[in-house]
Amino acid sequence: MATRVITIIGFCAVIIALVVLEIVARRPGSRVPALGEWLGYLMRPKTGRVLLLAGWLWLGWHYFSR
Amino acid sequence: MAANGVSRSPGRLGRKPGRPAADGGEERTVRRWRRPSGLRLALSAVLFGYAWLAASTRPFTFMSLLVVLLPGAVVAGVAIWGPPDRIQAPDRLDIAGFSWWLVIVAVLFEWEAAGFRDNSPWWHPSLTELIDPIITPYPLRAIAFFLWLITGWALVRR
Repeated sequence: MATRVITIIGFCAVIIALVVLEIVARRPGSRVPALGEWLGYLMRPKTGRVLLLAGWLWLGWHYFSR
Repeated sequence: MAANGVSRSPGRLGRKPGRPAADGGEERTVRRWRRPSGLRLALSAVLFGYAWLAASTRPFTFMSLLVVLLPGAVVAGVAIWGPPDRIQAPDRLDIAGFSWWLVIVAVLFEWEAAGFRDNSPWWHPSLTELIDPIITPYPLRAIAFFLWLITGWALVRR
């Protein structure tokens, strides 16, 4: 039981950290890029674009099709 | 990495739009919230309608595969043949700032991989095992599908 709770707390902590980081990134003068900014940067080359869209498609298949 | 994405100054993977390359002064472009247009609201309603229908399909069926592949084909088609007005991507990233994201995403993958390696036991479930029960109720599944569609559109605009 305790191990399961620790695992769930771990996932929650990571998700909260992601949200906090996005909030920090949106503050004026922040050096941290916002999620959209670094995703946009990664999608500049065609390979990055294809890989990220493939990842999005995989997420849809994983959660809604199987 | 493409030549235009290579860092040109120490400690920097890139530069954010609206900021100068070396000396400060210019602030980052601030995107203001705009009232959604009628067309955008109508499109959102159509997408939500699609998500509502798609959520009714049973997993592991041809229909459930089709309702996922169809938006995938549309997004791929739009990305290849008719890209919309894209949101300007930064030509550089601050490597120190970006490393925060890298660390957290790496922790997430490690945490997920640890559960996946052990075949997602009850005592160490994977993220999928935790999310699946949340999106099982029909309305929540439709909302999750709608968010997935919106994410696809947001990606294709980058």
